[in-house]
Amino acid sequence: MKLLIIEDEKELSKSIVAYLKQESYLCETSADFVTAMNKTESFDYDCILLDISLPDGNGLNVLKELKANNKTDGVIIISAKNSIDDRIAGLNLGADDYLAKPFHLSELSARIAAVIRRRRFDGNKIIVLNEITIDTVAKMVAIHHAELDLTCKEYDLLLYLVSNKNRVISKNAIAESISGEGADLYDNFDFIYAHIKNLKKKLTAAGCEDYIKSIYGMGYKFTI
Amino acid sequence: MKLLQKTIRSYFIYSVIILLIAVPVFYYVIQGIVREDIDEDLLNTKELLKPKISDALRNNSIDQLKFLDHDITVSVTSASKEFDTLTTVEIFDTIAKELVPHRLLTSYFTVNGKPCMLQVKTSLVDNDDLIASIVKVQVILLILLMTGLFIINRNLSKKIWMPFYITLQKLQNYKVEKHAPLSLPKSSITEFNDLNTSLQELTDRTHQSFVSQKEFSENASHEMQTPLAVFQSKLELLMQTTPLTEEQALLMGDMADVAQRMARLNKSLVLLTKIENSQFADKENVSIKVYIEKFILLYQPQINEKQITVDNKIVENEILHANAALIEILINNLIGNAIRHNIVGGSIGIKLHRDRLIIENTGKAYPLDKEKIFQRFQKESTDNNSIGLGLEMVKKVCNINNYIITYDFVNKQHCFTIVFNNSTIEMQSSLVN
Repeated sequence: MKLLIIEDEKELSKSIVAYLKQESYLCETSADFVTAMNKTESFDYDCILLDISLPDGNGLNVLKELKANNKTDGVIIISAKNSIDDRIAGLNLGADDYLAKPFHLSELSARIAAVIRRRRFDGNKIIVLNEITIDTVAKMVAIHHAELDLTCKEYDLLLYLVSNKNRVISKNAIAESISGEGADLYDNFDFIYAHIKNLKKKLTAAGCEDYIKSIYGMGYKFTI
Repeated sequence: MKLLQKTIRSYFIYSVIILLIAVPVFYYVIQGIVREDIDEDLLNTKELLKPKISDALRNNSIDQLKFLDHDITVSVTSASKEFDTLTTVEIFDTIAKELVPHRLLTSYFTVNGKPCMLQVKTSLVDNDDLIASIVKVQVILLILLMTGLFIINRNLSKKIWMPFYITLQKLQNYKVEKHAPLSLPKSSITEFNDLNTSLQELTDRTHQSFVSQKEFSENASHEMQTPLAVFQSKLELLMQTTPLTEEQALLMGDMADVAQRMARLNKSLVLLTKIENSQFADKENVSIKVYIEKFILLYQPQINEKQITVDNKIVENEILHANAALIEILINNLIGNAIRHNIVGGSIGIKLHRDRLIIENTGKAYPLDKEKIFQRFQKESTDNNSIGLGLEMVKKVCNINNYIITYDFVNKQHCFTIVFNNSTIEMQSSLVN
């Protein structure tokens, strides 16, 4: 998998590269508009992370150029401008997703995984991790080929954990991924605990190994 | 009291006082002059009569001395002194059958060695009538003069103060965030021109500082996003490092919470500056009901978590002509607050009826400070998730749309009422239902 990170803030692109190295991604970075254009013209990427506000140009023009050349690279816009207009403009131009800064790396990783899955044309939209099989089209989970009945939230949670496997995911990131903007309406993180507990219970009851580890004080980790 | 009222009132009081003093003074002065004139006349008559009396005495025909005029009587007395007395007496008039005031001259003098008394009188009725008429005419003239001056003064003041009132009205309509130039009219009065120039400069300066302040908060909140993103990402990478002690993990967890709060605060600030910059200008027909139901559904897990009962009474749906994003912010914040500041097992009541939306919820057992509640960073709770910008945003949205929002504490319920501006409400509930 080849990724291009177009981001003028070097520290942020460094972080993204460091976080994603766990996955078998090949990450390239570009800190300005010109190199970004050169790279996207010369190579094909599975997913491009695109910052709109670049020092020497508008990131959206990179996207326009890609679409004009009929390129099929997946594009996730990462922007400091969290405005509805920008979001709509980006998505209308053919971006696959939009993520406002600041974001959790775990969220970014999950979004990249989703974009890559959607872009894959070999029909392989099924994630297999030992005894766990996740069908991302039908939104079905099976353990040892036996279907597991999960709620919508539990499925999303499992997918999120799996997308960030072997990495610690902070409680805040999980809370935000589960309940979006409403995460701050909870008095505490007990609701995450409840969801995780239910998910673990269902998985182990179906004969799945207990992969979900609680990391004291920080969050959770799907270890495989 | 209004400016014109104040000046006119002073004039009015002065006029009345002058009238009250002038009329009696005038009356007595005229009367005095007339009296003096009559007295002189009487004395002249006496001097004219003296030779005739002297002749009569010489002829011993004093008793035959008769005058055609009944007002003159002469008699011989025994008194030897010579003096004149002038008195005003009431004498019964047989023709008019009433007492009539007279001026009476009683003169004692000696003619040819014989003491005589002469009485000459003259009626004052005609003179008094004259005085009364003169005073009446005078009073009417005075009143006419004063009312005339009064009206002229008022009109003149109005005309003179006109530029002032125009300036005042323009200032009242002036909004620093909109800053339409004041365009104050030129006046022929230097002071008003100076005032207008000063005001023009003042509003320009105010607007400039408003703009720079706005730009600063806008830039500051925008520029904050990138370092925040870097910080958060580095923290997440730090979490992946091994080995970590429990102490370190706990610290990182706390840092992540704070980073999250900063991110949330920043997001709200960006949104708030956007509202302030009127970046939500496009208006469309917005159904409040849709947003209420959307957020109740969205926050159902949170509502369930706190075991809150939601009583949603939408009697009549309202279609507002407003910006959809703003209405979304409004409803989101109000319902969010009703959940956040609620107690376990509490309740939320939502009533939408005609032009008003009422959202009430259980919570703290005491009322909140009505004055401070809509100010930014006025946090009532110690809840770290509450950043203190929600109601500020609500208030801003209401201000933009001319809605009126009030807070009350009724029956141990915190109650927020929004009255939508009647003029913008279109009763189209039937179209949506």
